[in-house]
Amino acid sequence: MSHLETTAGTAATADTSGTGNAAAITIRGLSKTFRDTRAGGTTGGEVRALDAVSLDIAAGAFVAIVGASGCGKTTLLRAIAGLETAHEGTVALDGEPVRAPGPDRGVVFQDHRLLPWLSVADNTALGLSALPAAERDERVRRALALVGLTDFAGAWPAQLSGGMAQRAAIARALAARPRALLLDEPLGALDAITRLRMQTELERIWRVEKITMVMVTHDVEEALLLGDTVVVMTPRPGRIKREHRIQLARPRDRESPVFQDLRRTLLVELELETPPPAVAGDYAI
Amino acid sequence: MKPPVIYGAAPFLVPAVLLAVWFLLTAGTKPAVNPLFLPPPATVLAGFGELWRDDLAGDFAASAITVLRGYICGVLVGLTTGAACGLSRLTERVLTPTLNTFRQVPGLAWLPLMILWFGAGTGGKTVLIGLAVFFPVFLNTLQGIRGVPAEYIEVGRVFGFGKLELLLRVVAPAALPGVFVGLRYGAGIAWAVLVVAEMLGARRGLGFLLMRSQELMHTHHLFALIFIIGGVGFSIDFGLRRLERHLLRWKRGFEG
Repeated sequence: MSHLETTAGTAATADTSGTGNAAAITIRGLSKTFRDTRAGGTTGGEVRALDAVSLDIAAGAFVAIVGASGCGKTTLLRAIAGLETAHEGTVALDGEPVRAPGPDRGVVFQDHRLLPWLSVADNTALGLSALPAAERDERVRRALALVGLTDFAGAWPAQLSGGMAQRAAIARALAARPRALLLDEPLGALDAITRLRMQTELERIWRVEKITMVMVTHDVEEALLLGDTVVVMTPRPGRIKREHRIQLARPRDRESPVFQDLRRTLLVELELETPPPAVAGDYAI
Repeated sequence: MKPPVIYGAAPFLVPAVLLAVWFLLTAGTKPAVNPLFLPPPATVLAGFGELWRDDLAGDFAASAITVLRGYICGVLVGLTTGAACGLSRLTERVLTPTLNTFRQVPGLAWLPLMILWFGAGTGGKTVLIGLAVFFPVFLNTLQGIRGVPAEYIEVGRVFGFGKLELLLRVVAPAALPGVFVGLRYGAGIAWAVLVVAEMLGARRGLGFLLMRSQELMHTHHLFALIFIIGGVGFSIDFGLRRLERHLLRWKRGFEG
């Protein structure tokens, strides 16, 4: 089997039975080729960003996609978001094909992309213009409370620190009540300490909101810390190398030997580390 | 470290020195400079009074109305054309070669033709000012829209914005800083073009008063008028800058 089953600790992945609002995502045979317009390209002018990628994401799951840059992980996420539509294969949300962006999918980009001319509260209300004012205000209030930015509702994005801006971006995506939240290296631009804090924060938000989360990252530890499933992708062409079901208890302890072993395994798969000599262990690759 | 008093007084330093030199050069019964070329400050001050009694307000109003009318016309046409070209490559391709050719003609070069077509009244000057204001507004609006980050457009798409909503809620505010550059630049040009146009052919207005004062050898009126023209230009820019600071207050992060 290509799945690595690790059952140290109590299996404590989210109970996905009560996730009425979460969406299941089905990806079948997704391929995407970019024309390389840069001069001196060694690829003959074409980059195979995604090559026949298929993936099932259960409703309410937290899926982390890891891979080096150029492995197509962001393209994959953008295809789910509906921002990338010229591709072969299909992306479906609860069986419904994705053709364009929609309110059922929230997106958090690596750069927070808060609109600088709107206050934090107005940014958070960006997807709520169809709602009556009272409900809109209530949604904004709750989303900002969830990410701990209540006191900054009236601030301009330029006044926020990197971590706060990214939390505001998460609040903005959540306020529209998506059934899946797509995170494109949401913590990539943050400093190490803020990053650790935000990882805990993301896990908490996922538990509270009970929606599907798909996070792209290049940080193996981050993927292991948060994902029910960690998908390893490799570049040229962008393919899924392996899917790991991670059944470590939450919150996960990054110092635990099992966590460290898993981390090692993933790094080997990403070809960032040479394989370790055969070690005795009760799990197998 | 600069003491705050000196820092606060700094903008008035150069005017104070100039004023002192002016007093020195024109003081006494035998001043260093012939009063015909440089009248003393008191005479210039009296000149304001003389001009006022000679219906300065009427000439000022004539100038103000003309410049305002021309400016508004130029801004409206510049904004719409700039937006049309910014949003559609085809429109840009249709219009810009022609507009770029016309742009090479200095604004005031149109004056004789305007006087021929519309007479020496305010009509021709309105068109002239409109023409001069049009180009900076058009170009900066076009650039402002082209400079809107694609990332912001994507945010709008993620939230399901339609074309109109994208335009009003993302493109327009993101392009506003660029647009304001054009508005401020255009305002400066409008005032300058007006005064020169009035000097070359008009029966009223500040530029007309300038020419008349020169012909009558009323040098102190010339000085008074130059102060007025400079003051008005300064106020226009100051007002627009305040408006810009308010509308673009998000750029600096802190409320202003």
